[in-house]
Amino acid sequence: MKNKTFQSLTNPLAKNNPVLVQILGICSALAVTTQLKPALVMGLSVVAVCAFSNLVLSLLRNGIPDRIRIIVQLVVIAALVTIVNDVLKAFVYDVSKQLSVYVGLIITNCIIMGRVEAFALSNKPLPSLLDGIGNGLGYGAVLVIIGFVRELFGNGTLFGYQVVPECLYEAGYVNNGLMLFPPAALIIVGIIIWVHRTANKDLQEK
Amino acid sequence: MSDKKFLGGKNSNAYIVFYSSVMVIIVAILLAFTSLSLKERQNANVLNEKKDAIVASLGLEKGSYDSVIEAYVVNKEGEVINTENTPLDKLFALAASYAAGEYPVFENKATGEFVFPVIGKGLWNDIWGYVALESDLNTIKGVIFDHAGETPGLGAEIATPKYQAQFPGKTIYEDGKFVGIEIVKGGAPEGDVHSVDAVTGGTKTSEGLENMIKDCLSCYDAFIMSRTAVPFYLVETENAE
Repeated sequence: MKNKTFQSLTNPLAKNNPVLVQILGICSALAVTTQLKPALVMGLSVVAVCAFSNLVLSLLRNGIPDRIRIIVQLVVIAALVTIVNDVLKAFVYDVSKQLSVYVGLIITNCIIMGRVEAFALSNKPLPSLLDGIGNGLGYGAVLVIIGFVRELFGNGTLFGYQVVPECLYEAGYVNNGLMLFPPAALIIVGIIIWVHRTANKDLQEK
Repeated sequence: MSDKKFLGGKNSNAYIVFYSSVMVIIVAILLAFTSLSLKERQNANVLNEKKDAIVASLGLEKGSYDSVIEAYVVNKEGEVINTENTPLDKLFALAASYAAGEYPVFENKATGEFVFPVIGKGLWNDIWGYVALESDLNTIKGVIFDHAGETPGLGAEIATPKYQAQFPGKTIYEDGKFVGIEIVKGGAPEGDVHSVDAVTGGTKTSEGLENMIKDCLSCYDAFIMSRTAVPFYLVETENAE
């Protein structure tokens, strides 16, 4: 039992990653990853929303009328996202401007409703909370990797700090402009999926 | 053990109506509480952004607003007037402020440069910005534009530094008469000091931008006249051609 509970946290991080295996949440993964900071904040926001929506709905699961199940899920998720959006606007205003509509669009992120419907409604609160955190982190980890690559090669910076030394530029190195466009994120996701499948042979279709 | 379930069980209509009503009330209270408790911080952030935009139009560093800018409100006749709200507060409802004939002015005391806030309509929604003038109150020193919902890649280009870089050096007066800045579709004529290029594929936004600059800056005409002790159009400038 203990082991199984723990697995609901670790499984979505690697073997069953929501972005890499289920290909969910790709839209925002392309949109907010030109820099590392918004990618990180977006990842943390999704962790918060996913964890709490799983927890709340798992606690409510025995009282929710079946016929308005989806509506209840949406109300809980939308309320959480609104709170997250307000918090971001109050404490990290510049990042919230960069993320713009994508924070609001967490509501429609398939990962969150998917986990609520598939896991939280049929499991106890603790595993549900861990499952939410795990899936949020799995999503966030992919975002951070993409953000890292895109900012490093597209701007020569990380978190806004210059990391590619000036002497490299003088030697003729130039930033890769493609990295700043959405297609670059798709290519990077593709490469990550390739590496991930090579490492996990059982994920490969015959 | 009673077999009477609350409101007739989980899937009865009465229970569903009751459940959704309670849920909505709880969520509403929660959201109202969050929104109210964070409002102050959020407004402070928005205010800071406006301050930074004002100094950015002057080409100064972020956060320098409080040390360099003196703000006041003028009327149509160019006289400084006292108003209930501060000039910065007016930026939150700039269109209403314009309609009431109260025009905020942000002056860089040290250099005699001025920033005028402008607001207008783009294609889809409001556009607004800050126009900074050199101390001659004729030459544009810098501009910042922003928008609420113009099309990305088209109308929204007005908010890019690249587009705004066209404005510095342009003049808004011709022989002492206010002319504004013309936004020319297909490209402004070379060397024309009163016009800039329109946004490609953003005709309506460009028209809105031109009207915004004309309508708003013309309100400051009397003020500008009163501040240019020796009319600049009588002063021989070195780069006059």
